[in-house]
Amino acid sequence: MKFIAKLFAVIQALIVVGVALSAQLAYAHGEKAQQPALRMRTVHWFDVDLSVRKLEVNQTVVVKGSFIPSESWPHHVASIEDGSAFLNIGVPGPSFVRLETRINGTPGIRSTTFKQGEQYDFEVTLKARTPGRYHLHPIVNVKDAGPMIGPGMWIEVEGSQANFQNSVKTLFGHELNLETYGFSNAAGWSALWVLVGLSWFGYWLLKVPLIMPRFRRVTELGGNADEMIATRDRRVALGFLLVTLLLIAGGYVYTNERFPVTTPLQTGKIDTAILKRESSPVLVKMDDARYRIPGRSFRIALTVTNFGTSPLSVGEFASGSLRFINSSVHKVLPKDADDLVAPDALRVEGGPIQPGETRQIVIYADDAMWETQRMTTMISSPDAVVAGMLFFFDAKGRRYPVEISGPMIPLFG
Amino acid sequence: MTILTSAIDSPNELARVDAQVDWVLIPLLVILLGAIFSFEFSLLVGDWDFWVDWRDRRYWPLVAPLVMVTLPAVFGYAFWRLVRLPLGGTLSILAFTLMAWLSRYLNFHEFAGFPMNFVFPSTYIAIGLMIDCVLLLTGSFFFTGIVAGFLSGLLLWPLNWPLFAPFMVPVEMQGTLMTVADVMGFEYIRTAMPEYVRIIEQSTLRTFGDAVVPLTAVFAAFLTIMVYWFWVWIGSLAFRLTWLRKVI
Repeated sequence: MKFIAKLFAVIQALIVVGVALSAQLAYAHGEKAQQPALRMRTVHWFDVDLSVRKLEVNQTVVVKGSFIPSESWPHHVASIEDGSAFLNIGVPGPSFVRLETRINGTPGIRSTTFKQGEQYDFEVTLKARTPGRYHLHPIVNVKDAGPMIGPGMWIEVEGSQANFQNSVKTLFGHELNLETYGFSNAAGWSALWVLVGLSWFGYWLLKVPLIMPRFRRVTELGGNADEMIATRDRRVALGFLLVTLLLIAGGYVYTNERFPVTTPLQTGKIDTAILKRESSPVLVKMDDARYRIPGRSFRIALTVTNFGTSPLSVGEFASGSLRFINSSVHKVLPKDADDLVAPDALRVEGGPIQPGETRQIVIYADDAMWETQRMTTMISSPDAVVAGMLFFFDAKGRRYPVEISGPMIPLFG
Repeated sequence: MTILTSAIDSPNELARVDAQVDWVLIPLLVILLGAIFSFEFSLLVGDWDFWVDWRDRRYWPLVAPLVMVTLPAVFGYAFWRLVRLPLGGTLSILAFTLMAWLSRYLNFHEFAGFPMNFVFPSTYIAIGLMIDCVLLLTGSFFFTGIVAGFLSGLLLWPLNWPLFAPFMVPVEMQGTLMTVADVMGFEYIRTAMPEYVRIIEQSTLRTFGDAVVPLTAVFAAFLTIMVYWFWVWIGSLAFRLTWLRKVI
C-alpha cells in the first residue's frame, strides 16, 4: 500500500514538473483556436497597420485599419448589430495605455453596435508603457459572442517602465498621475481599518490560552456560557463599536469635504457614425466554392458584373485574416514573419471584367496557410458556409472591396 | 483492561499546552479563513471588487455586503457557540483582507502589470467589527442580524467612500464626461474585458431623483439581515457539537 502511495506521489510530481517545464510562452491571442467558419463570417479586417514598429516607453503608436462586419454573420452567433460591441486591443496586459479610439470619427470609449456590411475605419492611439516585444491585434468584442480577432503585428517597446508617465486633467484643472493617484490614500484608510481590526483581535489574544480553556468552560457552563463575558469585555466592545461608527461617519464627512463634486461611473452605448461611401461598381455572386484538402486549394467560381467605366481585376482574396494576393494586379509583402500574407497565391481564370460585362471567373487561393492557420478544420464545421472579401482593382489602381459568401464543399482527392 | 493516563500532570503544564494549541490553531485559522473567503469572494463578487471602475453605486454596494457577511456568520456562530469568542467576523475579514492585498499585489500588479491604484481592494473590516461587537453586547444572533447585518449593508458605501471618492472626480475625454476611474478602465487595456462587460449602474426611470446610494444601501441592509441569519443557521448545522464530537 505504501509503495503504491509513493509511486502515485512520484508520478504526480513528475507530471507537475513535466507540465511546468514544457510550458511555452504564449505570444498570440488564440486566433487560430476559433472555428474557421466563424473567423470567415464575422468581421473582415483589412489595411490594418501600425504607425511604428519600434518605439520607446512614453512614445505613441497608432493602430489603423478598417473592418466590415460580415453580411453572412451566422444567425446562431449573437448579433453585432443588436447587442453590444467594443473595439478593443489584444496585448498582454496593460503594456500600452490606450489614449484614444476613433471609429469613423466617433469616439470609441464606450460600447456600440456595428451594422453588417458597413465599413468602419478605425484609429487607436496607444502609448507604450512596458518594454517588451508584443503581438498586437485589434479586436472587436461582441457581447455574448466573444472576441473577433484581427490581424496581429509585432511591435517592440524599449526603455524603462520606471520612466512611464500617464496623467489626466480633471474638469477642475488638476493634473493627476494615473499610475499612482489615490493609492496612498486608499492604502492609508485600509491600513487604519486593519489597525482597528487587529486591536480588537489583539484584545482577545491577550487572554491566551483561549481556545481549549474556553471550549472546556463553555461545555461546563452550557446555557450559562454568557457568564464568561466580563463587564470589561462589554465596555471594550461598546468602545470598538462606537469607534467603528464614528470612523465611518467621520471618513464620509471628511471625504465629502475634500471631494465636494463627484460623478457616478459613466456607461451607456453610443451610436457609431456610418460614413457615406462611393457606391461599388461591381456586383459579385458566389456560384460555387470547393476546398481541395490535399492541395490546400480553395477554388471559387464567381459571376461578376462590372457597372463601372474601367476594367476590373481581382487583386486579393482575404478571409479569416488570411490574405491571398494576385501579384500580377497588386503587390503586397508580409510586414513581419507572422504576417498572414501569401504574396503570390491567388490565381484568377477569366481575366479583367470589362465595363458593362457580366462574366463568370474562377479564383484559386492556394497556400499552406490554410493548413498552418487551422482553416482546414472548416470541413468539420457544422455549418459549412464560408465568406471572404474580394478586392477588385480598376485600371487606375482604385480598389473596390466586395464580400462574397456561400456554401463550401470539401474535395478529398 | 486498559488504563488511560493523561500526559499532563499539572495546571501549569495544561496552560502551556493550551497556549501551544492557540499558537498552532490561530494562524491555521487565519490562513484557512483567508483562503476560503478569497475564493468565495472572487467567485461571487469578483470584478466588482477587482477594479476601481466597477465599484458603482447600484450593484457593488448590494452584492458586496451580502457576500461579506457569509463567513462572519458561519464562523461567528462557531467561535461564539464553541468558545464564546466574538471574533468570527473580524478575524475572517482580517484574513480576507490580507489575502486580497497579497492577491492584488502579486497577481494583478506584479504579474499582470496593472497599477495598484486601479486594483486595490475595498475595506470591509468595519463589518466584522460591527458583527462581533453587537454579538458580544446582545448575545443574540437574531439581534446581531437586525443591528449589525443592517448596518453592514447600510454603511458599506460610506465606509469605502474615502477610498473611492478620488476616483469619481469628473474628467473630459474625447468630448465625453468620464470619471477618473472610467478613464483608467479605458486606458489600462484589459483584452478580455470590453467595456460592456461591466455590470454597473445605468440610467433608469425607477431611480427616485438621484438617490441611488441611499436606496441601494437600505435595500442591501434588509437583505443583509436575512443573509446573515441564513448563514448563521448554516453555521449552526455545520458546527453541531454532536457531529463535531464524533469527528474529534
